[in-house]
This record gives sequence, C-alpha cells and structure tokens, in this order.
Amino acid sequence: MSGSEAEEAFLASAREAFRRDPGIGALDALGAWDLFGELADREARAATFAVFRAHGRELGRSAALCCLLAHPYTAGAGMAPGSCALAIPRRSTRRGEVFVLLGEPSAPNVLVDRPGVGASLVAFEDTALRPVAIPGRLPMHEITFDPGDAKALLSEERAKPARRQSTFFGRVAAAHELVGSAEGALDLALEHAATRVQFGKPIGSFQAVRHLLAWARTDCAAALEVSRLAAAQGLAAPSRFDEIAKALAGRNARRICERSLQVLGGIGFTAEQDHHHFHSRVLALDAVLGSSAELVCGLGAWLRESRTDPRIPMQLLQHGVGA
Amino acid sequence: MSKYDAPGLEPYLALAAFGEGLEKWLATAPPCLAAAASPNPSFAARVEAMSQLMRSLWEEGWGRHGWPEAFGGLGGTILHRAAMWDSLARHGVRGMGLFEHVEILLPTLCGMAPREFMVGALPGFLSGRELWCQGFSEPEAGSDLASLRTRASAVPGGFAIRGRKIWTSWASYATWCLLLARTGTPESRHRGVTAFIVDLRSPGVHVNAIEQANGTDELAEVVFDDAFVPEDRVVGEIDGGWHVAMHILSSERGAFAWFRHCFLYQQLLSQLCHAEAHGDAAVGAALLDLAAVSATGYLGLHSHAASTPLGPRAAFTKLLLCEAERAVHDCILAGDPDLAAGVQDEETALVRQEYLFSRIVTVYGGSQQMQLETIAKQLLRLP
Repeated sequence: MSGSEAEEAFLASAREAFRRDPGIGALDALGAWDLFGELADREARAATFAVFRAHGRELGRSAALCCLLAHPYTAGAGMAPGSCALAIPRRSTRRGEVFVLLGEPSAPNVLVDRPGVGASLVAFEDTALRPVAIPGRLPMHEITFDPGDAKALLSEERAKPARRQSTFFGRVAAAHELVGSAEGALDLALEHAATRVQFGKPIGSFQAVRHLLAWARTDCAAALEVSRLAAAQGLAAPSRFDEIAKALAGRNARRICERSLQVLGGIGFTAEQDHHHFHSRVLALDAVLGSSAELVCGLGAWLRESRTDPRIPMQLLQHGVGA
Repeated sequence: MSKYDAPGLEPYLALAAFGEGLEKWLATAPPCLAAAASPNPSFAARVEAMSQLMRSLWEEGWGRHGWPEAFGGLGGTILHRAAMWDSLARHGVRGMGLFEHVEILLPTLCGMAPREFMVGALPGFLSGRELWCQGFSEPEAGSDLASLRTRASAVPGGFAIRGRKIWTSWASYATWCLLLARTGTPESRHRGVTAFIVDLRSPGVHVNAIEQANGTDELAEVVFDDAFVPEDRVVGEIDGGWHVAMHILSSERGAFAWFRHCFLYQQLLSQLCHAEAHGDAAVGAALLDLAAVSATGYLGLHSHAASTPLGPRAAFTKLLLCEAERAVHDCILAGDPDLAAGVQDEETALVRQEYLFSRIVTVYGGSQQMQLETIAKQLLRLP
C-alpha cells in the first residue's frame, strides 16, 4: 500500500468514526490521542491531520483542535492528550480580546497562553462559558475565568517553543479541517448539479455551472496539497509556511463555499439544506488562528520588509511528500 | 573537451551531491550565467544567451543529469532537472526561454520516439545545438485539436506532409518539429492522427515568424508543402498520435508547471524593491498562489519520476500556474507604473514583455476553458 493509499484508507475510517460519534469519542475510537504525542513522525502527522479533514467533512463536534493546540504546553507536565484544551485568543471588534473554545467542552483543564507572560492552567469547573454560535454544528463558546484561579504552568521562556509548535500544528490542523468542510460543501453542489433539471437537462451539463464547479475543485486541490505539504514538512517547514497553508485553506474554502452556493441556488440558502453547516464552519475556522485576510496582508508585509526567500528548500525534493 | 569526456571519471551524482556541486559551480559566476541573467529585451539575444548556458551546462555535466544513459544522458530522474532549473532561477536566470521545449517534449520523445533516432541525437538537443518545436495547432484546429487537417500521405519510403500549422512556438529557431498529422479519414478525429519527427530543413517546409503584441517573434506559422518524412520518424504508433500528444500535454501542464513557477518566485522577489505597504495584500495573495503551484507541482514531479502520469489532474496545476503568473505580474505592474507607460530602458522593456505575456498564458497549452472542461468531465464526471 503506498503512502497515499494508506492516507486515504485512514481518512475513510476517520470519517466513519465521526459518522458514528461526532464528539470526542471518535478520537478514542481512532486511537488519535496517541498520535498527538508523535507529531515528530511524518506518518503520525499525516494521520493526525486526516482526522481533522474528516472532522470537517463529517461536521464533527469535538474539541479536538483545542486539545491539539494545548498538547505542546502540557506534554512536559505529563498531562494526557485530551485532558486540556487551549482557550484560543480572538480579537473581537466589540469586546477586545476574548478567549474561545471550539467544540463540545470535554477537557477538565483549560490552558491560557499569554505571549510575554507565559502559560497557565484553569480548572474547567472554575470557568464560565457563553455560547456564541453553533457554526456548522461546531459549538463555539467564549470562556471567562477569574485570573486568581489560574495556576502558572510554563514561564514565558518555556512557553515560547511550545507556542511555536502549538501554533504551527494548530494552523495546519485547521487548514485540513477547512479543506474537509469545503469538500463537504462541494459534494452537495456536485450532487445537485447532477440531479437538478432545468431546460430539460441536468444543470451540470451547462458550461457556466461546470466551470464554477471545476474552479471549486481546483481550489480544493490547491488547499489540500499545500496543507499536506505543510504536514509533510512539520516544524522543518520554511518560515511562515503554517500561515501560508492556513491562509490558503481559508481563502479557498470560502471561495469553494460561495461557488457551491451559487450552484445550489435558493435551496442552498435554506436551513433545511446542509450547505450552511459547511459554510458556517468554514467562516468560523477562517476566523481563528489568523484569518486569511489578516495572514495575507501579514505575509505580504513580511516579504516586503524582510525580503526573505519563502520557497521550500530543494532538499524536500529528495524526500518527496508522497503522491 | 569537457571533464565528462575524460575516461575513468565517475560522473553521475545523486540528487543531494548534484545540488551541492551545481551550487559550487554557480558560485564561481560562470560568464554564461551572467549573460542568461542579464535583462535583454531582444528575443534573439536571449535565445543566444540561453543556448550558451545550455552548452555550458552540458559540458560541465549538469545538463546530462536526469536523462537516460541509453541516449547519452547520465541517468537520474526529472528531480535532477527540477533541482537544476530551481538553482538557476535562484541565481537570477529569468526563465527557461525557448528551452522550455526540452522539458515539454524530450521526456515524451525519450519514451516514444524511435530508439535509432534518439541514440546519439539527445546530446545535440540538450546542449542547445538543435532546438525543437511542437506542430499541434492549426488555423481551424485550436482547442478542438482532434479536427486537425494537416495530412500525412504514404509515399515510397515514408510520408508526404501537406498542411499548415500555426501558433507554433519557437519554430523560427528550431531544427525539429514534433508534428501531429492526419493519417486516417477526415472523420477519424483523434483516432486517425499520427505524430512525426519532421526536419524543418527539409524541402517543402516554410516557417513564417509571427510578430507578437509584446514585440517578440516566439510564434510562427509553419507550412508543409509535400514535405517528405522518412518512415522511421514516426513517434509511437501510426494513428496513435493522440496518445503521444496527451502525454506531452500532461507533462506540460503537470510537471513542467513546477519548472516555470521557480522563475515566478524569482520575479516576485525581485520586484519587492518597488513594493509599498498598500500592495501587501496582493503580494501575500501571489505568495499563496505560488505555494499552490509548488504543492501540486511536487505531485507532478513525483508522479513523473515514478512514471505514473498525472493524467487529467495535471489540469489543476496548469490552472494554478496561470493564476500565479497573473498574480505575480499584477504585483509587478502595481509596483512599477513605468511598465504601463512603456519606458524603454532594457530592463523595463523586458519586464513589460513578460507582463504582457502573463495576460495570454491562459490561452496556450490548452486554454483555461478547456482545462475547466477536462476537470468537469473527467474528474467531476458531470453529465
């Protein structure tokens, strides 16, 4: 079995697991928690990120992303993966910095990382949750707590390398979940194009519709391959490759949803059709860990100011990324 | 005499050593590199500079890597060639120029052309002595390539070619043409087409350059007036030319796109001296588009190296390459309004040529609309 066939087979089993249990139980069933501790290994990374692609595709409701984000901080303290979820900082236009938890809360501990200060832990029972929305069946809560209840975990010096790992793997995981969600939206549109008849023919036989779908499929291929390339390289990736992967996945996933919605027509804008679940999830995932709009501007400014060569080193050609 | 003609050397280098060795050689600043990197708006002068570069790469052995030993190469895969062009781009070479044909045509010729023709001939092709062009499009057969009318009629010892090809890139500079001609009935469409190797020096072949809107004469019309082609110059099978053409187009759209994007990175980086903060989003977006070509192009390279062609998936890479090419040149134009005004110093004139060309990239090698149809039909299986 080639690397890519193994990946496809694992993706299929991960999708099946989330169909059976869209919550955190699927990660138990897949043995995914062990993978979080093995992200130095390329195959473990490929499997981990396939879990996130499946999570997006099957509209999983777990807090897997927040648990993955917390793991680099807590691994040294001997805490088991899944026992802690990172509160993701987000800048609200109206309320300034807020912390959010994605997915159904399942971890007994919440990790808060403040750049310049360090990381601390709060018991989940000492926090207050406010549901903000359920975008695409993915619960999202704003979380608040009394700073007096937070126990220091890592000094700033020790938090720094954990933060780098957490951000890198979190962005690459979010990119995979964006791809999975966009694939879900596109599949609905493809099904519609093959069955909806107008002027006596399925609308998928009209070139205007075909080209919308072909562009969406191209955007999917680009986002998936860049995400896989980020996963294959891991922390050895060139500077800011996680930002490139997350920005590309966010931008393309939004475009894929928009084109899919156009193909679906009015039915796609109803509550009964599933399109909006995928579309809302894409918007929510694009909004955390750096939106595509923010990251694209930041990448341009970085290139202009630093003149850094952003290319992937040639050595990667020798190892390949698997077909 | 180059070091590779000396007996007793072990010339083949594995990929890592190849990359290091090439970097060392480029660091000595060979004159051929400076000539190929300097901006020169004259297309003929660029052809000359690139031919010199190809010759030096051949003599030094770098250009022999990645090509079959049976035909005079040193062995290795397309990854050697990718490493070579990537290094050259990083050292300022502006593009492959008309030597793009080496990557578009020669891999297919190595696999499908008559062995007797290729043995001994490949060094001439790789060292820049003899160039190729690709005789596909006709006045009445553009996107609808299967309706081509140029006729190959059997005559004693070979075929007589009669017809007209157009938009034939590099024909004015080429010695050889890989020609698609009809050997079946006019209604046979893609089933009655054969691929031939035609010597453009043959009697009955007329090449008329076409001056382009960006001032170059890269394209030409090629007229065949009962030009004779010997019977041992058939590529693939008689009436099997469509398979040859699809192999070439899949290489062009998949693996070759990766080669071209190396130079786009270089162009994006080199325009940053003109960049201002208001253009950051556009530069960032171009960077994403280039990453998309990198990633899908890797698949193309590795599939090619493993002899498992990408097939219709190559259309993704082709579409993404065109998007990246336009995005990079949008940034370049935004950063330097002199391009639009047509300021005629040498560098601006060349960058303007490149900008104008970026507006037409969605036409050649299969138009953007045909790529979208390929995806819709063969990958999405739409009705």
